[in-house]
Amino acid sequence: MKILVADDSRVMRQIVIRTLRQAGYSGHEVIEAENGKEGLDLVRSEAPDLVLSDWNMPEMTGIDFLSALRSSGSTVPFGFVTSEGSADMRARAEAGGALFLIAKPFTPEAFDEALAPVLKG
Amino acid sequence: MTITVEPSYDDVQMLVDEVWTSFLGSEEPLLPGAPTDLAVGWSAAVTVSGEWHGMVSVELPTGLAEEVTRRMLMVEETLDEDVADAVGELVNMIGGNVKSLMPGPSVLSLPVVAAGRVARPSDSVEVCRLDASWAGTPLLVSVYVRKDA
Repeated sequence: MKILVADDSRVMRQIVIRTLRQAGYSGHEVIEAENGKEGLDLVRSEAPDLVLSDWNMPEMTGIDFLSALRSSGSTVPFGFVTSEGSADMRARAEAGGALFLIAKPFTPEAFDEALAPVLKG
Repeated sequence: MTITVEPSYDDVQMLVDEVWTSFLGSEEPLLPGAPTDLAVGWSAAVTVSGEWHGMVSVELPTGLAEEVTRRMLMVEETLDEDVADAVGELVNMIGGNVKSLMPGPSVLSLPVVAAGRVARPSDSVEVCRLDASWAGTPLLVSVYVRKDA
């Protein structure tokens, strides 16, 4: 499977990719985007099986990225990995069509719990 | 003059400790430190605007900022752009979690990172100051809120 990781921080993209491996998802191809706009282009050109996106990014935020995907008819499974895990943000993520929201800081266990239904289901 | 609601010292300490342990390992714990005149090499800040207005900043000596970057990226050598990225991501995580504790809705800014000390708005006041020490090196996390006129 192909996983798109969208985050404006290269450090965080590396940590997310490392955590994917630690959570037992090492066999998947990972592609990276620096913001939602780049992510949108990559979903169209690369057709990933899952998108893991930060919320707060320049150019295009994660929630606008998700909204643009759904507006264009894409149903790619989408989850947030963000420093903001309040009930309000979780409700907005769910209303926008996200499957889950993993709050930073996170653990490999939190990744597995969120990803297992998508990647193992 | 009144000050708006502020996060407790215990809450800030707990979430900073969680961020630290998650990304830098638990073998070297983050310890409470005495207030010190920090030789700030790198700092970063995020602001929260909306129902709650505040700013969260992190200040680190250069050597500590570089070590944090090495641990987060798992590399031996660091470039300044990596250090700026890592320190910005630290304050993003701490600030995002502080925002979650405060009344909402509000918006978290992208981090501002500086080689040196970031300036704080003149209409703000420090309401929480966490002096800490990691591997024998001091660091500082502060929360500021906007003073009500």
